[in-house]
Amino acid sequence: MFRHSATTRRLAPLACAALAGSLVAGCGASTSGNGGGDAKGPLEVWTRSDTVDAKAYKRIFAAFTKKTGIKVDYKPVVDFDKLLQQRAASKNLPDVTVNDMGSLGNYQSQGLLQPVDKKAIKGTSDITGTAWSGAVGTDGKIYGIPFSRQAQGMFVRKDWLKKVGMKAPKTWAELLDVAKAFTDKDPDGNGKNDTYGLLVPGSTNNGYLAWFASNFIWQGGGDIVASRGGGKYEAVADSPANVKTVTWLKGLYCSSKVTQPGSLTMTTGDSYPFFTQGKVGISLTGPYEFPLFDKTPGKDKLEVIPAPKGPDGNTVLAEGENVYLMAGSKKSEQQRKLAEFMISPEAQKLGMTAPDAPVVRLSVNTKVDTGKVYNDPRWKIFSDAYANDSKPFPSAINYQPIRQDTAESLNKLFANCGSSVKSGLGELNSTLQQELKSQGVAK
Amino acid sequence: MTQPLGHSGISTAVSTTAATEPRPGGRRRAAAPPAGVVKRRPRGGRRFTASSWVPWLFVAPALLLFVVFKYLPMAKGVELSFYDVRPFLGNLWVGLANYRSVFGDPQFQAALGHTVVLAVGGTIGSVIVGFFLALLLEGPARSLWFMRSAVFLPVVTATAVVGEIWRLLYYPTSAGFLNTVLGFLGIGPLHYLDHTSSALWSVMAVAIWTGGPYNMVIVLAGLTQVDRGLYEAAALDGANTWQRLRHITLPALRPVVTILLTLAAIRGFRTFTEVYVLTGGGPAGSTDVWMTRIYQLGFTRNEIGVASAAATLLFLVTVCLTVAMQWYQRRKEARP
Repeated sequence: MFRHSATTRRLAPLACAALAGSLVAGCGASTSGNGGGDAKGPLEVWTRSDTVDAKAYKRIFAAFTKKTGIKVDYKPVVDFDKLLQQRAASKNLPDVTVNDMGSLGNYQSQGLLQPVDKKAIKGTSDITGTAWSGAVGTDGKIYGIPFSRQAQGMFVRKDWLKKVGMKAPKTWAELLDVAKAFTDKDPDGNGKNDTYGLLVPGSTNNGYLAWFASNFIWQGGGDIVASRGGGKYEAVADSPANVKTVTWLKGLYCSSKVTQPGSLTMTTGDSYPFFTQGKVGISLTGPYEFPLFDKTPGKDKLEVIPAPKGPDGNTVLAEGENVYLMAGSKKSEQQRKLAEFMISPEAQKLGMTAPDAPVVRLSVNTKVDTGKVYNDPRWKIFSDAYANDSKPFPSAINYQPIRQDTAESLNKLFANCGSSVKSGLGELNSTLQQELKSQGVAK
Repeated sequence: MTQPLGHSGISTAVSTTAATEPRPGGRRRAAAPPAGVVKRRPRGGRRFTASSWVPWLFVAPALLLFVVFKYLPMAKGVELSFYDVRPFLGNLWVGLANYRSVFGDPQFQAALGHTVVLAVGGTIGSVIVGFFLALLLEGPARSLWFMRSAVFLPVVTATAVVGEIWRLLYYPTSAGFLNTVLGFLGIGPLHYLDHTSSALWSVMAVAIWTGGPYNMVIVLAGLTQVDRGLYEAAALDGANTWQRLRHITLPALRPVVTILLTLAAIRGFRTFTEVYVLTGGGPAGSTDVWMTRIYQLGFTRNEIGVASAAATLLFLVTVCLTVAMQWYQRRKEARP
């Protein structure tokens, strides 16, 4: 009796709080910012950027305000998706965002994006066709305006190549040889066995390992999910070509051991110090790392090459950013004007020539000559790779869970050297097919 | 205490509060005032006099903060666990589907296993370490005071910083700090976080390292309650150190140990930052725990509903654990 009453008393406030919670839940979401419902005030624009990138965007928006008189309330956001979800919950999205083209499917499925009428926006005819392919949703409509594109390339330590007497790799076999030499032959000459061949951000966080491995999967002639037309997709992760590729990748961890130690728990940010501090000699990444890598290990110590050829060519990952016109905005006129400006040669050049970080890597506008603007022949490697041998993740579907599942499976295979690649990929394939089904896009 | 999550994390925080704060009701009843001094209110009475509001008035500011920042988000988290959460399009009621997908997910099952191993190992380890630290550092001497503060440092250091430091200590080649030390003894280099077989144990060691000193403080407080006379009497009777420890210190510390175990177990189940910073749940998911799984689902995959369901389950587990511990303690206390 005594105990019962004590328990009741203890639970009462909890129950009250729970009840109050359900009653007040609706008003929990507060409104902030100028975006969304407000027709007056400045245009609220978000980009997924740190403070360095933000400087470049500020230049672009300042030029826009000067030209059109439209004020921009600009917010660089690092934790982009989390904060965007919060604003979505309060039904008050920013007016315009600039973010990965890979986010398109995810945002569109949540109803966050306005469809784009190409004809209503001036200058869209100057944008390359390949760039538009990263702006189409599963329903065939366009949901973004291309802003910047890029492909991956390989940074190799020139001085290390010289030391071990080798040339920059052109094929997978040569890549493995160079990576082995960098690991075993003391390329930094400090007398210690403390260098490694290949930098791999192999963490499952955000699906990092899948970003890296996709390049090789495509070069090996395989794919993860394949488009079957009509907005439908099929999981193809367990193909014989993929079994070969993944077995080769697994060898980097299990037999040749050329990756940096701790690779399988490292994000890109965790792994870069190994390259900049001269512990690893090869990094496969995007041209956005020029500012960082040119400082350390130094521009004179680097050779930039196209990704080495695999059994089926040297396709690399194409990425980029789109301008998204967010749903619920009452400033459609200003949104349109900003979009027109962002794709204009003026804004594109401003983005490319930003002193600390080029937020426009390869221009989407055919009237902009990338080679001329940068005046650096190394950029040609990336623009050629993008034009000839690049492939984006499918942006129409929500690719994030697929990347996550792929990274988790590969991570498991590389961590357990005794594991069977074939059965691992088989399991991955059924998981992916299930995911496609739950998104309603399975063939 | 780190709160990495938004609404789903908060629900787990409340249970800790419930455990840390002594409940005044139970204690006061044990020492009832002499009859006639305080007039007892009739049982189940609803009449409030002006003076009975005064304590509530004092509690109100804290209570208000708790309601707004803890109980409401917590209730919201429980509510979301029954919905397919779509912030912009509006949530869809899905009943228990989110709970079913948590139970059906093999990764959650694996994470549960890791969580239990980490919680049990970390709890036992940190209680033992805390106990021995307390025995070593008990006493009024100034040097001991300094040592105690030094030993306590890991507890007040941000967990993320601790994680980063241990990442460096654990560096898996012969250049790493721990491996250099082991190298002098002719052992290693060991892989620590880099290998599926050793990663979970390495994370556990960090948890013990940070949890031990915290437990030490609680044990120290308990040790001051032990009657010195008992030690002297036992010494006169010829009891050796071990016998004194076994028959005087340990029984006297029983209530303290119960609190320690409850707190450490709850902390163990809610482990997030250590794992997230040290391994991110890898390699190959070998250190994936309940909270990192929730984080992945909620914030990488945007499945807030399923993540809330998992957080609610964790909350229920910690509540059950707390209640069970309290019940056990009461029963022990009731029996002399």
